[in-house]
Amino acid sequence: MGKVTYKRFKGSQNLRLRLLLATLSATPVLIEDIRADETLPGLRPHEISFLRLLERVSDDCLIEINETGTKLKYKPGIVMGGKHLVHDCGVNRSIGYFLEPLVVLGLFAKKSLMVRLKGITNDSKDPSVDTFRSATLPMLRQFGVPSEGLELKIESRGVPPHGGGEVVLSIPIVQSLEAVTWSDEGMVKRIRGVTFSTRVSSQFENTMIHAARGIFNRLLPDVHIFTDHKAGPQAGNSPGYGISLVAETTSGCFISADTAVSYVRGNDIDEMEDEKELMPPENVGEQIASFLLQEIEQGGVVDSTHQGLLFLLCAMCPQDVSKIRVGKLSPYGIETLRHIKDFLGVKFVIKPDPSTGTVILKCVGSGLKNLSRKSS
Amino acid sequence: VERTVSRKNINLMQLVYGTSASTTAINEKRESIDDEESDGDDFFKLKGEGNKKLKEGLDGTDINTEDCSKFTNYADLKNWKEEEIYESIRDRFVTGDWSKAAQRN
Repeated sequence: MGKVTYKRFKGSQNLRLRLLLATLSATPVLIEDIRADETLPGLRPHEISFLRLLERVSDDCLIEINETGTKLKYKPGIVMGGKHLVHDCGVNRSIGYFLEPLVVLGLFAKKSLMVRLKGITNDSKDPSVDTFRSATLPMLRQFGVPSEGLELKIESRGVPPHGGGEVVLSIPIVQSLEAVTWSDEGMVKRIRGVTFSTRVSSQFENTMIHAARGIFNRLLPDVHIFTDHKAGPQAGNSPGYGISLVAETTSGCFISADTAVSYVRGNDIDEMEDEKELMPPENVGEQIASFLLQEIEQGGVVDSTHQGLLFLLCAMCPQDVSKIRVGKLSPYGIETLRHIKDFLGVKFVIKPDPSTGTVILKCVGSGLKNLSRKSS
Repeated sequence: VERTVSRKNINLMQLVYGTSASTTAINEKRESIDDEESDGDDFFKLKGEGNKKLKEGLDGTDINTEDCSKFTNYADLKNWKEEEIYESIRDRFVTGDWSKAAQRN
């Protein structure tokens, strides 16, 4: 047996991206100095949970962590997929944190993936499950992913600090993706959204909707925001409320914005000093509606949050040219571009389009094929 | 990073991939300085200080930054209730001028 050569990294940054790309490109990675100088060194519970999830969906992968958790060795296996899997995401990060890499992995699994994820469905740090359902999944269809068997069911909701939400994710497998020429943003034809409330009065939702509509109404009549008040066991373990919005354009782009409000996580030392008072629902609605308009103003076929996923999908296409348009490059988008070059050897040609203030990116896909899929 | 992206003439390729020789040289230099420093006073170092040094990692960013794709910058939100401001994006909506919108492509 030959000696395994590991791609080496430092620090906890972009851990999901590194592990995802390592798995897709079958590259073993070694990550050192993970929060080595912090009072609480090493991997965080949500990162461990993500590693467990990787272990669960794949066969023959090898994970080694040193005693303090500051050093991680990962040798990817074959992504198996499978049905009726259950994973507890914990309450450190929301389910959105796990969905982002999982959806890409699922496409290249041996069997289609169906997994029940438990934890936090809505918070302010990660994309909400609603955004995932109404903006992320439609985006996959642009790349030739069939809509059959592609869905996210929200069974119950949970917000920080104690979570208690549950969703079921189904991802079909693909042989390969289809390269895209996707630079037409179109015009916003409708805005849809959903508010939720758990363990608080449903009146909070009406207030958020009223405030958000107040921002949109002068621009567009076709605005519908639904409510989703949860009670009993479906409301999870903590009180909270929030809103997710999606602007749909004439060319099939989905621009999203979301947020949620709840009490801070008790174990998060950094956030302990934050004020206890929650933002009133009126401000929440107004803020997120304004943020959506800002995303629309900046242009691009996806919002800032989805840039990373867009670049990943383009890089995983067959060896054809993809051309896409985004607004300002987001910091996470830039990190994704760098890691794609590291792992897949795909370098994008990036050109600003001064007349619109957007950025045009082109790349030739890495020709990633789903090798683990059974040929029939 | 944000501000540089918005400038029109910036070479985005360079910003993302850092291909030019000068930037890599600067990074290397900074790295070697860090190494020398940490050799000496590694032993008596306050937790906090170590943190700061780490934060200056390769290209001036913390190697342990939080892994977050969601872009949340609510700090400089414009007042979208003002007519002048919301009218400025009118043509991005179907209620606006379709011919102007078509020029974007």
